[in-house]
Amino acid sequence: MFFDFIKRNSRKVRKENGVYFASLVISIVAFYVILSLGEQDIIVYLKTVESDAVERLLLMIPILYAVSLFFVFFLVYFANRYQLQQRSHEFGMYLMMGMKQSKLFVMIMGETLWNGLVALCIGVPISLFLTELISLATSRLIGMGIIGHEFRISWVGLGLTVFGFIVVQLLAVFILSFRMSGKEPIDLLKDQKEKSQRVLSPVWSMVGILSGAVLLLGAIFLCVAYGLAVLYLRSLDYRIFALILIIGICGTFILFRGLGSLIGAWVKRKSSSSTGLFVFTARQLQENVLHQWGSLAISSLLILMAMVCFAFGTSTALNNSATSSRTVDFTFKGSEEEIVSALTSDKLAPYVNSYNVMELGNFSPIDSETSENTAARTWSGLEEAISKEENSEEKENLLRNLSMNDSPYYISLSSYNTILTSINKAPIILEDDEVAMYSDEEYSYSYDILRTALQNNPTIGIGEKQYELMSTLYTSNVVADRAITLSYALIVPDAIYDSFIGRSQDPWLWNMTLNAEFIEEKGLMQAMYEVEQLMNTFGLDFESYLSSMGRQLFYTVAGSYTTFYLGIMFLIIANTVLGINFLMQQRSTRHRYSTVAMLGASIESLCSSARKQIWLYFGLVISVSLVSSVFGIWSLLTAFPSTTLSIENSMVVAIILIVFIVFELCYIWMIQRKSDEEIKKFKEIE
Amino acid sequence: MNISDKLLQVKAVYKTFGEGQSETVALKGVSFDVLPGEFLGIMGASGSGKTTLLNSVATMLKPTAGQILLEGKNISSFRGSQLAKYRGSKIGYLFQEFELIDNLTARENIILPLSIHGVNPEEQEEQLQKLVKQFDIESVLNKFPSQMSGGQKQRVAAARALISNPSIVLADEPTGALDTKNAKTLMDKLYANNQEEGSTILMVTHDANAASYCSRILFIQDGVIFHELRKKVPGETQNAFYERILTVLAQLGGGSSNVL
Ligand SMILES: Nc1ncnc2c1ncn2[C@@H]1O[C@H](COP(=O)(O)OP(=O)(O)OP(=O)(O)O)[C@@H](O)[C@H]1O
Ligand SMILES: [Mg+2]
Repeated sequence: MFFDFIKRNSRKVRKENGVYFASLVISIVAFYVILSLGEQDIIVYLKTVESDAVERLLLMIPILYAVSLFFVFFLVYFANRYQLQQRSHEFGMYLMMGMKQSKLFVMIMGETLWNGLVALCIGVPISLFLTELISLATSRLIGMGIIGHEFRISWVGLGLTVFGFIVVQLLAVFILSFRMSGKEPIDLLKDQKEKSQRVLSPVWSMVGILSGAVLLLGAIFLCVAYGLAVLYLRSLDYRIFALILIIGICGTFILFRGLGSLIGAWVKRKSSSSTGLFVFTARQLQENVLHQWGSLAISSLLILMAMVCFAFGTSTALNNSATSSRTVDFTFKGSEEEIVSALTSDKLAPYVNSYNVMELGNFSPIDSETSENTAARTWSGLEEAISKEENSEEKENLLRNLSMNDSPYYISLSSYNTILTSINKAPIILEDDEVAMYSDEEYSYSYDILRTALQNNPTIGIGEKQYELMSTLYTSNVVADRAITLSYALIVPDAIYDSFIGRSQDPWLWNMTLNAEFIEEKGLMQAMYEVEQLMNTFGLDFESYLSSMGRQLFYTVAGSYTTFYLGIMFLIIANTVLGINFLMQQRSTRHRYSTVAMLGASIESLCSSARKQIWLYFGLVISVSLVSSVFGIWSLLTAFPSTTLSIENSMVVAIILIVFIVFELCYIWMIQRKSDEEIKKFKEIE
Repeated sequence: MNISDKLLQVKAVYKTFGEGQSETVALKGVSFDVLPGEFLGIMGASGSGKTTLLNSVATMLKPTAGQILLEGKNISSFRGSQLAKYRGSKIGYLFQEFELIDNLTARENIILPLSIHGVNPEEQEEQLQKLVKQFDIESVLNKFPSQMSGGQKQRVAAARALISNPSIVLADEPTGALDTKNAKTLMDKLYANNQEEGSTILMVTHDANAASYCSRILFIQDGVIFHELRKKVPGETQNAFYERILTVLAQLGGGSSNVL
């Protein structure tokens, strides 16, 4: 009987708070998705390529889980606080009718548990479906054979999801009902009445000044935080970071605290010169801000965090997918006969398109004194050209790197041209006194400045002679992945290569490209994967472009997956808290709406008043976080110079911004519809 | 407008709540007219249907049968925007549970009906100042309801009911929650407004004292009107009328204790 009662009550709660319930389901899905990450096909595969980095990522999952738990707790706590407040009259009645405190407590906990179980029943199948979908999509994208796909349920993930979710719910409600249990029935019965205006009339004249001061203080705090972030975040000093965080958070809270009174002062000034429901709308908004400035500030900060997460996620994803394009498929280290015999064997030969020695070597004169002179002469012309460029962080880094690069690598023209022709690029033609510059894609941050400097064909010195640099910068990788990473090297005519490096260093790098038809047939990754398996049987020391792809994939996945996960989590929680806040206030002040309706306001004008309230309510929070996020993202991008903001990137950032705005609009629209429903519900004439 | 024109006509109004077993017939064919400038009281035992009747006139309830005409228009058939146009502008409300909006100041509460109906701000201010003097609420204009006394609240509510110069003001036990002194102040003000501005008031009350301000009183029992008292004008004092009301209540209520 009692159980039926609990079931009936919880059904009512679910129906009345659909938004909240939906958020619970989403958070279950989010929990499972992050917890089962370690068992997703793609990660299982990446473990074989980049086991260290994957291990580190997997270590982060418990942290992500804990962070999400905390925020879900926040959500559950707030939502339930309003719900219990809403129902406190009902609870008071139960007590008056002779229900024991303990039984009431059991009832509330029971309802929470039951609702939690219902949410799990909906959420778990959805999350299984979603992870399955993600797995399928990624393995389809990369090639079935590599990332063997099988349906997997992460039992640990599932267990932790259920456990965490239920514990968070019970804990939040336990704290709330514990606080409620101290109250007498009369308080509960009366609690129905919402808190009255806090502003006292004698203070009225002060309010304007006070709120102005508070607001100003908040704004100043925020500005200081912004300034500090933009100026000093790149030094990554944790004290500065903590200071920025504290000032920023305080600023946001103070800002929202002041905003409520400010709106009040503003309404008072405007109230004598307005028509329609303006005053009502503004006062409702003011009350919301006044009573809930804390959760508004938290929501605003959460949205800010979401924005920063999205920005960071996209920029990591973009920058990683932009690096290292494919030149050769495999690079071997070792002696010539060993490698050639393997590549020409019956087993491998059918797959091999071509193989070539990669001639590159370090020019290191024996005499240390000459070395210094030579070094000074090698880059000095280029350095001069670079110094003329505009000052920037990149410029400084570039100059520093060049000055340390005292004995540059030389690449022989013919072997570099082999690479260029294999990827259908025009080979380099060097004049007698000309050389070309090579730079690995890992140093792409300096490309722009280097290219402009090269336009003037600066000279460099090799040995006793001066050579002119070609105006093109070459960046096609000299090896498959990372057999060697050359920050800055010179592509020199074979004659120069022979005379300086010559036979003093045996060639030790061999590049190989795969048969094009085979790739066509199998797909790049699959083809490389199969050949890699074969090569392992030869005991060669080799690397393949596959690991480069794998690494990119991993950083893309790790960087974007986790940050997007957090971003979405924050966004949903912030919006849900806002939405619930609003709808709860609306419901608890329903008698006001009916009073206004009796005074002659049409249902349409009431709905539009509520819609306006929702716009302003969300708008306030979102605009504060948008302003903050501009600074947040700015300082983030300057703190991590590798995440350059190119035009493509800003396009993507713009798209993310649009998606965010569309998401917010949808959410606002949903809350508005819900509010319309509410208003129409409580104004029906029999 | 001719003084003899009927302002409000209530014609054979029936109201039934619920269905089947739980059916309650609250009004069983109530008919009466209200003339412009009248101060009409409605009295009756608890559960006799007074509030139901007033709510029907107030357009908060739809009569099951019958018609309610205000200035010749059948308001019980109104819907949507038509209804909204009448509420707050043609009809003023002064209900006991019909509170002030507690996050608006007294001033904002009072001019709300005017704002809703799009009256321009200067005109709003003019109307407001007149009522502020009449109801003596100058000092509370910028206060919120939670900072006012019960009497002040009810006077602010009265000012709100009257601000749009409605054709008729409906009041359901306006003095119900007030002590004798505050009740008297409120009734004095309402009466003065009725006399000086010629406003029409329809008031439900249990209180014979409050009722003695009326020019006519309808007694209702079990959903029908069964008696009417009229103050003799000129001549009859309020006290004399009060005595007559008590007599009727004692006679017809079968024991006035449950009426008062
Ligand atoms: N919404 C409703 N649903 C069902 N029955 C109702 C409803 N409102 C009133 N009634 C019934 O109609 C009858 C008349 O009620 P009404 O509120 O008009 O009485 P009243 O004269 O105002 O009483 P009181 O003096 O106590 O306020 C009562 O029997 C009441 O039970
Ligand atoms: Mg009543």
